[in-house]
Amino acid sequence: MSRRPLGLILFGAAILVAALASTISVSNVGATPLTQAGVSNDSCLECHAVPGVSLTLENGESFSAYIDPNEFNQSIHGSKGYACVQCHTDLDGYPHPEFTASDRRDLALQLYDSCFHCHSGQYERTLDSVHQRALDQGNREAAICTDCHGAHDTRQLIDPSTGDLLPDARLHIPITCAKCHNAIYGKYLTSVHGDALINDGNLDVPTCINCHGVHNIEDPTTAQFRLLSPSICANCHTDASIMDKYGISTQVLNTYVADFHGTTVEIFSKVSPDAPTNKAVCYDCHGIHDIKSVSDPAGGLEFRQNLLARCQVCHPDATSNFSDAWLSHYIPSPENNPTVYYVNLFYSIFIPGLLGGMGILVVMDVTWQLRKRRAAKRPIEDMQEQASETGLHPVLGSAPDTASDKEAGEPQSAPEDGS
Amino acid sequence: MNDSERSMEPTSTRVRSERTFARFSAGERWQHALFLLSFMVLLLTGLPQKYRAANWSQYLLSTPERLELIQTIHHIAALILIAETVYHLGRALMRLFQRRLNGAMLPTWQDVRDAYAMLRYLFSLDRNKPSFGKFTFEQKFTYWFFIFGTLIMIGSGLVIWFPITFTRIFPGGIIPAAKLAHSAEAIAAAIFVLMWHSYHVHIERLNLSIFTGRLSEREMHEYHQREYQRLTPEVNESPPGEGA
Repeated sequence: MSRRPLGLILFGAAILVAALASTISVSNVGATPLTQAGVSNDSCLECHAVPGVSLTLENGESFSAYIDPNEFNQSIHGSKGYACVQCHTDLDGYPHPEFTASDRRDLALQLYDSCFHCHSGQYERTLDSVHQRALDQGNREAAICTDCHGAHDTRQLIDPSTGDLLPDARLHIPITCAKCHNAIYGKYLTSVHGDALINDGNLDVPTCINCHGVHNIEDPTTAQFRLLSPSICANCHTDASIMDKYGISTQVLNTYVADFHGTTVEIFSKVSPDAPTNKAVCYDCHGIHDIKSVSDPAGGLEFRQNLLARCQVCHPDATSNFSDAWLSHYIPSPENNPTVYYVNLFYSIFIPGLLGGMGILVVMDVTWQLRKRRAAKRPIEDMQEQASETGLHPVLGSAPDTASDKEAGEPQSAPEDGS
Repeated sequence: MNDSERSMEPTSTRVRSERTFARFSAGERWQHALFLLSFMVLLLTGLPQKYRAANWSQYLLSTPERLELIQTIHHIAALILIAETVYHLGRALMRLFQRRLNGAMLPTWQDVRDAYAMLRYLFSLDRNKPSFGKFTFEQKFTYWFFIFGTLIMIGSGLVIWFPITFTRIFPGGIIPAAKLAHSAEAIAAAIFVLMWHSYHVHIERLNLSIFTGRLSEREMHEYHQREYQRLTPEVNESPPGEGA
């Protein structure tokens, strides 16, 4: 009898512990520092703060195991009092089991998944990323958590009060990606966005992650990425709160979708987003990482020869007139694209006029037909008249026995007065 | 109706026969059938491209292969329509130069007067319904609406089919203008067919003469009285001559 309540209490406690554990692992930055538990950082630093402490990897390389206490204490984890053993969970005191790795990269790859303990959301998103796929395919250099965030010098990136990226972190993003993608970084610096970010500290412009995502970074070379890419640009370029500052039209997506390329891309992106298409998307004309301002003399699309060059990538025989076929994101007006404007004006009058005019005439005609038929039903004596009046079914209608007998006098003597 | 046309004299009192009048030649009937067919195909393959935002359209155009197929069908039907238009107008021009053109379809001032009289009649300003010749003003209007509509569709269609060729001569602005005109004129044509043409040949009365080639005497008398009067005086011994 007395064992049952105890069993229940134990069971409840187990659930509570499991729930606590799960909240700890699910919440991103909510994990509580556990300096008091297990091994204190000081005991680790007794050895690891000694300059020169190192281990020899299997390939013979020497790896410094030195931890700069200041650096760690300034990191987000250090400043919040997290313990070494919260990441290095396999260690619980001194002497700890010998750590072996074939080389430096192997060492990082062995350790980075401890981020999962607290940052499971972000970690799981990386599992869908192009980096993880490369890693799975055997590319050991593909980025893991610590490549971007660092290990012992992890910085604070998010403003806890707003949940937004800190300005500093935002400025730092392209530099982080440039660790591996430095050629693209070079291009980005020449773009209207990169120039504004790096040289002017403008935080409105996109950094790498605004287009590519953060942890679940998609493969940008797929057909799907291509088809859905206009929506990436549209995120900012249809947002008047950003665009108005720079006098940029927010109609760029509408006008794109209204034209040939955009129409097709729009349809496919909705019904078969993985379909490969050669129809131009934003970046085919505006560039990918080296996106220029349209008024930039070097490559700006405001200059016709620059636009034509872009047209000719897909339409090699295009002549200079051809580039004018593109309405340059303008909504047709008497000033911009008057031909289109006036054709549109004509049809926006002509079609309703046609519909209305014909509708009225048809309705009037129907009214007359009905009135005639009703009137014709009353005098029964004149069968012949009735036949020609109702006239809806000439085959079924009662025709005269022979045509010849009436044709002599009938035509002249049968005016419309009965109608 | 066709079979009974020659039986001018009653062979038997039991047989009910009706005289009919030739209205369209076999060639004209074939042209109409071909036009009808290509028009329908063009409309059915064009509308999904115009209404890309609609679900049914996206269902039809779901893959690049399907879009390409629909466009190919549209282009084939367009070529048929173009060939027919060239034939029709070419033949008319040739006959015009040979002074053999039957002018019955040409608009005249009489049509304006007829339209005015018809309006007066419909507005109850006049008790008498106007009488018409071989083609009523409404039928001529239909014909010319299709002629101009088809020319607009062919012209604008070719521009958006061969944009690079056309912009060698014309300014680039004609491409979006042609696209707009093609799309809007198609709607105008569809409205016209559904509201005007189908009302007059199906609902107002079932007029199948464009398929059978003939009109009954009763219809001739009621709807084309002037033509009927023109034809009947000389018709006492022989059936009315071919309209052309």
